[in-house]
Amino acid sequence: MSDYVLEIKNLIKDFPGVRAVNDVSFDIKRNTIHCLVGENGAGKTTLIKILTGAYMRTSGTILLNGDKYEAHNTKDARQKGVSTLFQELNIVDQLTVEENLTLGSEDTFMGFLKKTDKIKKIISTLNSLEPSINPKQLVSSLSVAKKQIVEIAKAVATESDIIIMDEPTAAISESEIERLFKIIRGLREKNVTVIYISHRLDEIFEIGDYVTVMRDGKHIETKPISEVKDRLELIKMMIGKTIFEKYIPKESQTGQVLLEVKNITTDKLKDISFEVKRGEVVGFYGLVGAGKTELARAIFGADPYKGEIVFKGRKLSNSPDKAIEAGIALVPEERRSQGLFTVLTIRNNIPVMNMKKISRSGFINSTKEKRVAADYIEKLRIVTNTMEKQASKLSGGNQQKVVFAKCLFADTDLLILDEPTRGIDVGAKSEIYNIIRQLSGEGKSILIFSSELTEIVNICDRIFLMYDGDMKAEMQNSDDINSEEIIHIATGGVVECKTV
Amino acid sequence: MQNGINGNVGINNRTLTGGKISNESFITLCMLGVLIVLFGLACLFVPNFYYLQNIINLITNSWFIIVLGIGVTFLLVTGNFDMSVGGIIAMSGVISVYFSQTAGTSRSVLDNGLGLPYGVAIALALIAALIIGAINAFFVTKLKVASIIVTLGTMSVARGIAQVLTTGSQRNVNMPDVFGVFGNITVISSIKLAVFIMVALVIAAIIVEKNTIFGRRTYLIGANSQAARLSGVKVERHVTILYLVSSLLAGLVGILLASEYISGNSNRGMGLEFDALVLVLLGGTSIAGGFGSVSGSVIGALILSVVTSSATGLLLRPEWQYLLKGAIVFIAIMAQRFALDRRKI
Repeated sequence: MSDYVLEIKNLIKDFPGVRAVNDVSFDIKRNTIHCLVGENGAGKTTLIKILTGAYMRTSGTILLNGDKYEAHNTKDARQKGVSTLFQELNIVDQLTVEENLTLGSEDTFMGFLKKTDKIKKIISTLNSLEPSINPKQLVSSLSVAKKQIVEIAKAVATESDIIIMDEPTAAISESEIERLFKIIRGLREKNVTVIYISHRLDEIFEIGDYVTVMRDGKHIETKPISEVKDRLELIKMMIGKTIFEKYIPKESQTGQVLLEVKNITTDKLKDISFEVKRGEVVGFYGLVGAGKTELARAIFGADPYKGEIVFKGRKLSNSPDKAIEAGIALVPEERRSQGLFTVLTIRNNIPVMNMKKISRSGFINSTKEKRVAADYIEKLRIVTNTMEKQASKLSGGNQQKVVFAKCLFADTDLLILDEPTRGIDVGAKSEIYNIIRQLSGEGKSILIFSSELTEIVNICDRIFLMYDGDMKAEMQNSDDINSEEIIHIATGGVVECKTV
Repeated sequence: MQNGINGNVGINNRTLTGGKISNESFITLCMLGVLIVLFGLACLFVPNFYYLQNIINLITNSWFIIVLGIGVTFLLVTGNFDMSVGGIIAMSGVISVYFSQTAGTSRSVLDNGLGLPYGVAIALALIAALIIGAINAFFVTKLKVASIIVTLGTMSVARGIAQVLTTGSQRNVNMPDVFGVFGNITVISSIKLAVFIMVALVIAAIIVEKNTIFGRRTYLIGANSQAARLSGVKVERHVTILYLVSSLLAGLVGILLASEYISGNSNRGMGLEFDALVLVLLGGTSIAGGFGSVSGSVIGALILSVVTSSATGLLLRPEWQYLLKGAIVFIAIMAQRFALDRRKI
């Protein structure tokens, strides 16, 4: 057997308009913990999805134990030896641990379940990994970390060669992380290779043997962790010499304060306070799970919070309709489930946040409605042949433009954008950036919550860095902003400069 | 499907608005077609079916189910069921009788009421109906219980109240003279007042549905209630209003039917909640919400009416009528799916 459990050669994956994985080649050594790092959009997720069978590659070869490997779905991948620990665990809360472990691989005799060696083996594996889990226990009574361990046990017992772990520590506590790491380290002895994906760079140094860095769909480097000097070197590899579209510094903002956020606290957020002036574009950067969406939703009044939000000098009550009335609009994170009325037409989608403007004493003026729709279709260059098209039939970028049109038509002074360009192509992206700049020129304030650094650095005047529900630092944007430091702080590094 | 990749910017408004009708109108037209075909078939096979009087009867006999259908349609467009309407009919009818029956004149329990004026009795009957609607709304919007469970519960509660007040039977004596007036008064050549009330309600409902912010918000909630909330729609308040309206309409139907038959029968309206749901579905309203129309529901009601009345005309035994109704429902709903799938915008 070769030294390498997995060999990836010239792997390419194209999506319409984007090459998500661009000629990637690297090998993964047997029985090691191999970390995969890169910014959002670097191509990690796509690569993993090819390995687990969620996507088909465009071209390239993958060798597993020297044999050609191709998976058609997660089950197929598992049978071939590649198991995955997804962030959304593949586990049924209502069943016991034992039932979960054997789910899908039960042996039956005339329809009745049989207790076989296979089950005994899985249970003894679980026992050796974590003796405190009782197989008869209901899974719903386990912590997230223990649920992960149950899944790991299943993967080990079915003799997986590789277990892929996608951000396994995102949802678990410090002490549980320690226990999980102990188990992950132990997997090496059980003849299992781990592909470990995390944004938390310290973890990479703590448990990794090797690290592969990806950037813009390309493979940048693969080397032993011991040869990586420090976080900074890793960060440099991750962001490279990316030339940001140049940020144009604005006249220093001396306008009046529009929004004051005072001591906002929720389950996730820890005592967050800041101010925003009129015409300012303020960015909030942080990893997935840093609390960006929670903060955006709290300001908009979509979720309850403790603390106070003052807008235009008045205390804001905690509900979206009051926020819109006061002059705040939100472009939510998930456009299909939270922003768009997919079964309705474009015409019906656009005016929903400001129906008063197209109606008189409760009656809708359809001439006005059509004019508004035509207006925004043209203004935002929404590509469609008719305004009567169902929103679900538009492309992602055009759907996002419809959501934008909705919020622009609300004619608010403050626009909150949560991941405004996620999943849309480059062209639509730069159009959306132009809209944002234009709005700020009109004196509107904009809050951008994003996990894409380029986005934040390109258009924001001021940047807040969030980590784990906490506001870690505040920076004034300039054309020589230190993006390495931003990543350093946003990945949990110690703040050395101006803190909030 | 094929729209230019390179921006169709500057397209004029005429092309943008297009000449096509909405999917809702399309389905309504389809069901109108189904109605005409069924009516034609009935005319061929059922003697005297095409008589003008019979056609008028088809419409006038459906007045109560159409009135129920209005509330149920609006709720189903938001993605919520109302199965309590049949029970409310019995309850409000019985209450209007019980409260207006003279007090203490007879030894039989069912002959004694509270002796209130008729006006007060119907007001209280409507309030009772509203309370059922409020319970529906509270459980659905505040406690987030599935609407079908809640309203099946209140269906039994309402009917239970009717049963208790009538000891499982009916009250039909000692009412004031005015009691039988509203349900039997005719306006133009033997057409009852209730039918005109139905027509007025349908017209009002169609205007609200198509031309008002309230109507539009109903669709928004059904299409995506999370997005509706984030777009400033007060979802809970809206659904509450719809439940109140639906139960109020059912209460009104109950009072009118009690007046028509001059009795409060605890079994009245049994199964009507299912008929109301069926006609709303026949009219093209989607169980998933966000899609449907009152005019569709009216056509759905007429389809049901044609089917039941031709079944009677063919002298089918009642048990066979159910099968026929079931078959028609299947055919109609398949036709709808088929038509919508063929249609592309």
